[in-house]
Amino acid sequence: MKKLLFFISVIFSLTTVAQSNENIFGSFESNSQLLQDDNSLNFTSPEDNFRANNYFQLNYNIGNVSTGIQYESYLPSAMLGYYPQYNGENGIASYFVNIKRNKTDITFGYFYGQFGNGLIFRSWENRQLGINNAIKGIKLKYKFSESFNLTTIYGQQRNGFELNEATIQGVDTNLNLNKFLNLDKTDLTIGASYIGRYQNNSTNDLIPANVKSLGARVDLYSGRFSLNFEGIIKDSDVIANEGIILSDKLYDGTALQLDLGYSKKGLGLNTTFRRLENFNFYSDRLAEGNIYNQQTISYTPALTKQQDYLLTNIYVYSAQPRLVINALENRSGEVGSQTDFYYTFKKDSFLGKYKSKIAVNFSYWAAIESNFNQDQSYDVEFIGDGNRYYRDFNFELKNRWSNKFNTTITMLDVIIDKGVALGGPLGVQGDIKAKVGVIEGTYRYENGKSSRAVIQHLWTKNDKKNWAGLVYEYNFSTNLNVFIADGWNYGGTDKIHYYNFGGSYSKDNIRLSLNYGRQRGGLICVGGVCRYVPENTGVNLNLNLVF
Amino acid sequence: MNKFLTLLTFIFSITVNSQSTLPNISLNSLEGNEINIQSISSDDKIAVVSLWATWCVPCIKELDAISEYYEEWRDEVNFELYAISTDDSRTIKRVNAMVNGKGWDYTILLDSNNELQRSLGASTIPLTLIVKNNEIVYRHSGYSAGVEFELFNKIKELK
Repeated sequence: MKKLLFFISVIFSLTTVAQSNENIFGSFESNSQLLQDDNSLNFTSPEDNFRANNYFQLNYNIGNVSTGIQYESYLPSAMLGYYPQYNGENGIASYFVNIKRNKTDITFGYFYGQFGNGLIFRSWENRQLGINNAIKGIKLKYKFSESFNLTTIYGQQRNGFELNEATIQGVDTNLNLNKFLNLDKTDLTIGASYIGRYQNNSTNDLIPANVKSLGARVDLYSGRFSLNFEGIIKDSDVIANEGIILSDKLYDGTALQLDLGYSKKGLGLNTTFRRLENFNFYSDRLAEGNIYNQQTISYTPALTKQQDYLLTNIYVYSAQPRLVINALENRSGEVGSQTDFYYTFKKDSFLGKYKSKIAVNFSYWAAIESNFNQDQSYDVEFIGDGNRYYRDFNFELKNRWSNKFNTTITMLDVIIDKGVALGGPLGVQGDIKAKVGVIEGTYRYENGKSSRAVIQHLWTKNDKKNWAGLVYEYNFSTNLNVFIADGWNYGGTDKIHYYNFGGSYSKDNIRLSLNYGRQRGGLICVGGVCRYVPENTGVNLNLNLVF
Repeated sequence: MNKFLTLLTFIFSITVNSQSTLPNISLNSLEGNEINIQSISSDDKIAVVSLWATWCVPCIKELDAISEYYEEWRDEVNFELYAISTDDSRTIKRVNAMVNGKGWDYTILLDSNNELQRSLGASTIPLTLIVKNNEIVYRHSGYSAGVEFELFNKIKELK
């Protein structure tokens, strides 16, 4: 802590002689909870019932040089459901110096980055998910021309407040072909990537010390059409779960993704196909299967529509790219597709005088059909007829009825494998079939005041049976609001109310929110990556300040 | 806890004498052209920057709401809205379909590994800024019905 304050003071003393091309900025985020016992949920508050995650970030730029430092504290404990390695820790988690000059962009210290779709490599930060897999080392981006650039990375990945032992190297190139092919109304870019991991194998020669992935991609945009393709192959490596190697054999992996799009004003259509066979890459060979999304190199999010209402995100899919061979289950990966359709009606359609908007999404994800042999090898189809993991058809209609009032109707029809939704082996426990309906209305008064109400219902004969939900939010101004919400599992055995109430204040550089209530146990997902949160009851406080 | 308070006091004290500008970051458009975000508000141009994502319901409400008036407002005051998508690879292919499907006329930029979002200290989206000569003159996070009118009033003040 002293070190940090010292560092800040130094920067401040520098800024007192500030020049015009200098600037200093940063942010502070604090998320904390105070937990309490709740007999109805069978939740016993842990001994350290006050938990907080704090992030303090400071940046200083001068001319072409940017620097930054991030301090994190998880004191007295990290919030419930976060990577346990953070518990009770604090310190300077990352820092960097970046220099941009002419065609060169170089970063020393901790950096983030992504190659292509991120399938082969993505290092990023998401505080809600507790992910920060920055790499400490050097990143160099060089622009040979407007059409051609190259990025190289070298370093070790962050794991909690430490670094993993393995070194990661990577190269990524992008080449735009428009000039070479004299393309006018078409935009064509090709790219190639390489990622390698060197991790000491001690004396065990059966385990490879070097493992690499190679990928290639094509991005084409032509008028209303777009096509993106990416393919990756990964070297043979061990497969592991919770720190234990699962098989004597080594297995290679592959990833394929194809997106096709068509859009014009008022209409958009996009469809994605993806196949992942034994495709995940961690900065430690034994980190595979960790439930905290830590130490990842590859990025394989679930490709489904992310929902945001109380009851629409009870049954959410998470991607299943792993090869698993054990006594309980055998599977080799995931294959499937999703399609999105957006359409805006003309004014004065049968849906009203204002422009109504619809969004439709369909997704289907299943195991790749595979046969597993006695010797732990397997034979695999390209697609085949594997166990269904997830199927979702959903649709959303937005209507504006007047200048003051608008509504959104959302319907979902979901089938999810019980193993995917609730844990345990996949494809053998049966399905959960659920339908959800949501009606949301917003009414705007004068002077920034408004009311928002949401009623929702989930129908299912499986798992915890039916749910009803209600949310009401009142905005005193555009800066201040309060809400009450209840998700009532009236079909379940305990008929539990997951109630919540609170409010938030946001103005200029400050955002503050406070709420009290019950958290339903389950997955919290951001952008297709999910974090499991156990059921709990308590007060939550979030503060975000930027300067 | 004491340390925490010290830190907090400290932050508040520096907030007072800080300035806010957009960082030196280049973002790609949907077609892959690079745009430096420091250039979008140069020469007294007024730029509205909205950080959004295809999965963020309040973000879409805000952009839908503004789009109802965008043409009309731009007749009155010259400004440009940059809708900067923070979608990652999971949803980025949906951006084009959604923007067109909704008939939005904004300039779309991609912040696909959240470099801009991080340097703006935006832990949540939507985040909406008004920028002029690279100075952030208005900042608002979250959406409630009617924010769009407050935004437009601020824009008019800058004219």
